[in-house]
Amino acid sequence: MQTALEKALELILSGDAQLKNILAVTARMSLSSSFLALLAGVPLGIWLGACRFRGRGALVILNRTLMGMPPVVCGLLFYLLFSGVGPFRGLRLLFTVRIMVLAQVVLITPLVTGSMESYVSGIAGAVRETAAGLGLSGGRTFLLLVNECRYPICSAYLLAFARAIAEVGAVSMVGGAIAWKTNVMTTAIMQYTNRGDFSLGIALGLILLGLSLLVNTLISLVQRGLSR
Amino acid sequence: MRIGSFTKSYAGRTVLEMPEFTLDGGMIYGVISANGSGKSTLAKVLAGAEPPDGGTPVPEGVRIGYLPQKSYAFRMSVQANICLASGDQGKAMDRMRALGIEHLARRRADRLSGGETARMAAARVMMRPCDLLILDEPTASMDMQSTALTERLIQDFRRETGCAVLLITHSLGQAGRLADRILFLSRGRLAEEGEREQVLRRPKHPDTREFLDFCGV
Repeated sequence: MQTALEKALELILSGDAQLKNILAVTARMSLSSSFLALLAGVPLGIWLGACRFRGRGALVILNRTLMGMPPVVCGLLFYLLFSGVGPFRGLRLLFTVRIMVLAQVVLITPLVTGSMESYVSGIAGAVRETAAGLGLSGGRTFLLLVNECRYPICSAYLLAFARAIAEVGAVSMVGGAIAWKTNVMTTAIMQYTNRGDFSLGIALGLILLGLSLLVNTLISLVQRGLSR
Repeated sequence: MRIGSFTKSYAGRTVLEMPEFTLDGGMIYGVISANGSGKSTLAKVLAGAEPPDGGTPVPEGVRIGYLPQKSYAFRMSVQANICLASGDQGKAMDRMRALGIEHLARRRADRLSGGETARMAAARVMMRPCDLLILDEPTASMDMQSTALTERLIQDFRRETGCAVLLITHSLGQAGRLADRILFLSRGRLAEEGEREQVLRRPKHPDTREFLDFCGV
């Protein structure tokens, strides 16, 4: 164990090429998927939280269900859609970073939407009532509401990124964990552990833990800002 | 200003049934009742924050200022909050001075105490001229000094703009000090409406008499 740890630190400090490639693929995938999830989830969450319409309750329940979707189910769905028997086989996306990003967007967007919906529904009534009392237009009220969501948007992004970087089920199914192409930190840890090569696994695990610590520290800081 | 009759129901239960009534410009109307009699619902419906079961009680084109019971402090400075309805910085400073919160101008509004937030909200709603100002318990969380300052500003604003003021209050003292006329609500209905002295000293409706007797008036 001690030898493996020493070797892991050596790999990190020496800037091992394979390690660097895994980190680059992970960063590309996680940053892209969390950003796209933010783009889709924030407006959806604000809409669900601020507007009252028939069927809203059903949409909120659907989103909460999707928040708990097992990653392997998502991976299986994408695998079937894009594999040789699926309707989208012509796009040739299976075992690419692009489809890993797509699968993660589907997994993460409900988290962003749910987090925004929960925050916005708590303040929307008071914001709307106050803005109406001041004679503000609907557009101005919406902008004020979005302005109130600055911290929750940051918090939702960090949550999405943390989920993306630590996710393994969906990306291993649709990405295939191909070395130098679609292997990310989580899939590589599994792969190297199965082969008995613990040092690279430990090195990746340490980096992942470090990143998780960083993201959680940032989330705490944002939440401190939120708590006023 | 003629306010049309309307009803308001929640989940099939009628909580407010108002007949047609008139609000004259330059007058303060105190709305008093026991809890749960529909005061805030009346304010919300007239302000357009809640739709009535049917119709439009307030005529088209009437400019309404509304201070909800729980006013929201936007995540920006007190001055920026006050300038939301009108960008007139000088007027904003006048309003803040009138309520003794000029020293808070640069402070973040969402970090104020309850009483300070209430004063900021009162200053904010009285930035824009309107025809009907609806105040839902504007001084509920204020100390006596802040209450006195706010009451003075309400009277100044009424004189300045000639608007009708609908003042919802739990304080009979406040209604006695400010209101020209009193509306008494009982179980979601307008039980009595009349001159302040008449309603508070010689109430006609048995529910008003019972309420005032209970309050020791």
